[in-house]
Amino acid sequence: MARRITCAAALLALTGCMPESGSGYVEIKLNPAGARPPVLYLDGDKLAAPKGGVAVLRQPVGTAKLQVEADGAKVLLCSVAVKQNRITTVTVSALDRPPRCQCARIGGSEGNRVCIG
Amino acid sequence: MFEAHPHADRRLVVMLLASLLAASTFVLLPRTLLAQTETADMATADDEFSRQLRDLKKSFGEVARQIEDGAQIIDRTQDPEQGRKSIQELRNHVGRLLGAVADNGEVSKLGAKALSRADEKLRTLEQETRFKPDEKQFLIDKWRELRASTEAANRELDRARRDFAELLRTLQTNEDYIDELLQIREHEKALVVIHQLTDGIRDASTKLQKLLGAIKPPGA
Repeated sequence: MARRITCAAALLALTGCMPESGSGYVEIKLNPAGARPPVLYLDGDKLAAPKGGVAVLRQPVGTAKLQVEADGAKVLLCSVAVKQNRITTVTVSALDRPPRCQCARIGGSEGNRVCIG
Repeated sequence: MFEAHPHADRRLVVMLLASLLAASTFVLLPRTLLAQTETADMATADDEFSRQLRDLKKSFGEVARQIEDGAQIIDRTQDPEQGRKSIQELRNHVGRLLGAVADNGEVSKLGAKALSRADEKLRTLEQETRFKPDEKQFLIDKWRELRASTEAANRELDRARRDFAELLRTLQTNEDYIDELLQIREHEKALVVIHQLTDGIRDASTKLQKLLGAIKPPGA
């Protein structure tokens, strides 16, 4: 019980400088890592070029949309399921035109595929 | 036509002196202001980043202890359900660490901003003509040092991000497997998986401790 209280207190202290709960993580890997990165958007936010071909982004729990810029428009690459304190990895094949999204695991129904972690 | 006016003469002298004083201040002040502005720019550009890094180091230290405690519980447990819950708690701690250093997190954004600020200052200083050569060189050297230390801090953050992402993935994958094993009542096997995790968790804790030492706020 004392340990739980101590842990809770430490966590409360940490929340002053730590992200809030209700977030998960999306890891975007470029394949190949050194390829010229396409312009990507995650839930509408433009992403900086992934350093070393990898980006790890904190996202609210839910389903995030990964889009690529093509001919001035945003095209949906894939939907990504974001669960609390879990990481979902998607690989973007940068050499394909348009780029393709590859997921280690896929869930959802037909016509509504979602990458899951 | 013009009469001598002692009061007017005195007023004229005072006005002349005041003008001279104002003129010299006008000449001298920009240099002082510039030096202060340069210092303020340096402070503004990196102060917040350095402060956030210092806070991060404190948080990392606390979480490293929690991870070590979690590893001990996991190592000793004979109850797979308790082991699974401990892994879940660890996953929460690691998740919070990862959030602090994520690419779209505040610290990473500040680090990128501080670096680009230093690059911009170096570019403008190279073309600077206001200062004496030794003054200019002094500023350039100081900004180069700051840039190098900011870059080093950013590299450590990148490393932290990779390590925490890997640890989170390991924890969640093993937790999922343990879940599956518990569903088919393979409790003994679940315990084996749980205990095997301990080494990986302790490695992560060691890496975290090294990271604590390696992260140096710019200007420290």
